[in-house]
Amino acid sequence: MKLQKEKEQPEIPTASMADIAFLLIVFFMLTTVISATKGIEHILPQQDKSDTTQVEKEESIYIKINADGTYSVDQKEPRSVRDMGFLKEYVYEKVSRNYKKPIIIHVNPEADYDSMIAVLDTLKQVEEQVAREGRLPADKGLTISIPTSAELEAWGY
Amino acid sequence: MKLRKTKTIEAYIPTASMADIAFLLIVFFMITTVFQVDKTVLTLPASVVRSEVVKGSAFVVVTEDGYIKVSDGKEDTHPIDASDVLSFAVDLMSKDPEHHVVLKVDKHVKWHVVDKILEQLEQARVKNLQFLTELKTNEQ
Repeated sequence: MKLQKEKEQPEIPTASMADIAFLLIVFFMLTTVISATKGIEHILPQQDKSDTTQVEKEESIYIKINADGTYSVDQKEPRSVRDMGFLKEYVYEKVSRNYKKPIIIHVNPEADYDSMIAVLDTLKQVEEQVAREGRLPADKGLTISIPTSAELEAWGY
Repeated sequence: MKLRKTKTIEAYIPTASMADIAFLLIVFFMITTVFQVDKTVLTLPASVVRSEVVKGSAFVVVTEDGYIKVSDGKEDTHPIDASDVLSFAVDLMSKDPEHHVVLKVDKHVKWHVVDKILEQLEQARVKNLQFLTELKTNEQ
């Protein structure tokens, strides 16, 4: 008896491919975190530069953040950190004329971190505004420094 | 004239491209996924100006109680002593001097805690720093 062999076409089953793929999608969707990964950029000073120009207190914009949630600019009367309108105008007025004007943020050791961020945020807003108006060269920012307490001591503040 | 009997075509949904679509989505999620190195829950300060954190940045986390945790951006954060931030930062800078460091600090933390960390980071010659914040809304 002669059996007729039926040739079976070889094939890879791909029906479950989509299932596997969707499983992976679900995994990556669940592990993806989109929130809370943004912040304010700040460039720290480099200590190896020995030619750091000593800035006179009077030449700079000197912002002092106090422990009670107030700030004062250049010896002016203290204002609450919730009221940033004055700081914005004051800094803008000076910086729009000379973007290189150094800004020093002197934070009281007992002040809240929140207060410092509020001030820094305001300065960054001014920076954006000045940059939008074309008064700031590309890749340049305002000269903002947040000296540590050791530095302040060394500077004699 | 007799017309040919109309052939009924079986209705079906083409599923051959399903896997392709799925893989496209996978690639998208794979690229956008950033494995969170730190899962500490704290109230961040709010700001208007915010920019995207660079992928793979190192993290220095300070909780409301002043506990400090660090991560090099690859592993999960682990708690360290306040005075060990320097050695952590030096180690980090020796691998990549341009490495970005993100400060994730609770808004109620007193400045002297952050001040000590900044001092050590400066000593280690960290250049690129970022203060993690939340978006400031009108109510605030």
